[in-house]
Amino acid sequence: MMSTVDNPMVYGGGTAIQILIKQGILFADNFVDLAGIPGLTEITADAAGLRAGPMVTARGMETDDRVRRVAPLASTAYRHVANPRVRNTASIGGNLAHGDYRLDPPPALLALDATVEATSVRGTRSLPVRQFFVDFQQTALAPDELVTAVRIPAQPTGSAYRFVKYSSLSANDWPCASVAVLIAGREVHIGLGALAPVPRYASFDATGMTDQAAVDAALEVIAPLLDPIPDVRGSVRYKRRLAQVIVEDAVRGAWKDLDNA
Amino acid sequence: MNEITLIVNGTPHRTRVSDSALLLDVLREQAGCTSVREGCGVGACGACTVLVGETSVSSCLALATRYDGANITTAEGLDENDDVVSAFADCGAAQCGYCIPGFVLMTRELLAEHPRPTSEQITEHLEGNICRCGTYPEIRTAVSTAAERRSPR
Ligand SMILES: Cc1cc2nc3c(=O)[nH]c(=O)nc-3n(C[C@H](O)[C@H](O)[C@H](O)COP(=O)(O)OP(=O)(O)OC[C@H]3O[C@@H](n4cnc5c(N)ncnc54)[C@H](O)[C@@H]3O)c2cc1C
Ligand code: FES
Ligand code: FES
Repeated sequence: MMSTVDNPMVYGGGTAIQILIKQGILFADNFVDLAGIPGLTEITADAAGLRAGPMVTARGMETDDRVRRVAPLASTAYRHVANPRVRNTASIGGNLAHGDYRLDPPPALLALDATVEATSVRGTRSLPVRQFFVDFQQTALAPDELVTAVRIPAQPTGSAYRFVKYSSLSANDWPCASVAVLIAGREVHIGLGALAPVPRYASFDATGMTDQAAVDAALEVIAPLLDPIPDVRGSVRYKRRLAQVIVEDAVRGAWKDLDNA
Repeated sequence: MNEITLIVNGTPHRTRVSDSALLLDVLREQAGCTSVREGCGVGACGACTVLVGETSVSSCLALATRYDGANITTAEGLDENDDVVSAFADCGAAQCGYCIPGFVLMTRELLAEHPRPTSEQITEHLEGNICRCGTYPEIRTAVSTAAERRSPR
C-alpha cells in the first residue's frame, strides 16, 4: 500500500504528527493508519531478547514485566518519555522514525545494540540502531519503509546500567542532555541524546580500570561526538558541560552497581 | 467524512466527522462534553484528558476516527459522590477549576493501577498535568484522600 499511495505518511500514535500539523509544518494527505493492522502491538521474549511490534506504546515498554526483566535499561528510558498520558499513545515505531535528536529511548537502544526491522514491498531488512540515525531528523528508513519491529538483546547477567536525563525547563520536559550506559563484560557502551544533531554512540574496553579511570575514558570517547544545538534549553557551552557531568554521573552509578553485584 | 460511534459515558453518539477531526473537538462540539478542555493543544497540560477504557489519552492529539466504537469517560460521566470527585471537592482542590477534570481522570487511572500510591507515584503520574492556579498541594491531598476512601487501610 505504501508504494501505491501518493505521498503516504505512516500514522503511529500521532503524538508527533498532530503537533507538526498544528505548527503548520506538516501537510500530508494520505495517512496509512497502523492501528487497524493486527499483530503490531505484540511483545515477545526469548533467550536472545525482546521483539516488540511498532505499535507497542512507550508506556507498554515501561510497564511490561518482560521488558523490565530482560532489558531494564530500555524500560527505564521509555519511562522518561513525556508524561504517562502521552506514553499511553506514543508508539515505539513512531518514536524511532520521528528521528528527533532529543528523544529519550534512542540512547538506550544504542547502548543495547537494538535492531530495527524495516519492511517494504522489497522485503524486510534489519537495521542496527547504531546505523539508523543518519542526519538531523533523518533516519535510514526509505520513504516507503515501515518499522515493523524493534529487537532488543537481553541485558547480560552481571551487567549494570544507568539512564540519566537532565531537563533544564521543567521536570518532564524534553531533555537538554540524556545518556544511557551499559557495562557488559568489561565493555562500556554509551548512548547520548540531545547532545548532537543525532543520537550518538561510543564504547570502550574498561579491562583493569578503576571507576575513575572508566569515567576519564568515557569523557575521552564522548568528546569528539559532542556537537550540541543551542536552543531554549541551553547554549552550546552549557550542553557541553552538562555532557561531562551527566556521563560521569551515569558511568559512576553503573560502576557502583557492578561493584555491589 | 466518516460516520463513527463514540460511546461517551455509556451513551452511544453516532456522528459524522472529517478525517482530521480531533477527539477533543468532537467531544466538545458534538457530544456536549465541555469538561474536556483545550489548554496547550500539544499533550503537555492534561486539560483535554479523557479515559478510553481505563487509559488516559490527550484528546487534543487524538484523531476522532481512531476511537470509533471506543468507550470514553469524561468528567461528565462521574457521579458527584464518586470517591475521586468528592475527594477533590472536599479538599478544595479547585480554584478556577479549568484543569480539574483532567486531574480527576488521571487520578482514576493512577488508583486503578496503584490503589495506595506513594507520594512519588502520585508525582510521576500527574507530572503531565498543569494547574495555572497552582493548587498542587490541595490536589495531592485530594489524591491521597481518594485512595484512602477507595481502599481504607
Ligand atoms: C508533550 C510531549 C512531550 C514529549 N516529551 C518527550 C520527551 O521528554 N522525550 C522523548 O523521547 N519524547 C518526547 N515526546 C515525543 C514523543 O516521544 C513522540 O511524539 C512519540 O514517540 C512519537 O510516536 P508516535 O507513535 O506518536 O508517532 P507519530 O506521530 O505517529 O509519527 C511520528 C513519525 O514517525 C513516522 N512513523 C510512525 N510509525 C511508524 C512506523 N511504524 N514505521 C515508519 N514510520 C513511522 C510517522 O510517519 C511520523 O513521521 C514528547 C511528546 C509530547 C507530545
Ligand atoms: S490541551 Fe491536550 S494536553 Fe494540553
Ligand atoms: S484550578 Fe485553575 S487551573 Fe487548576
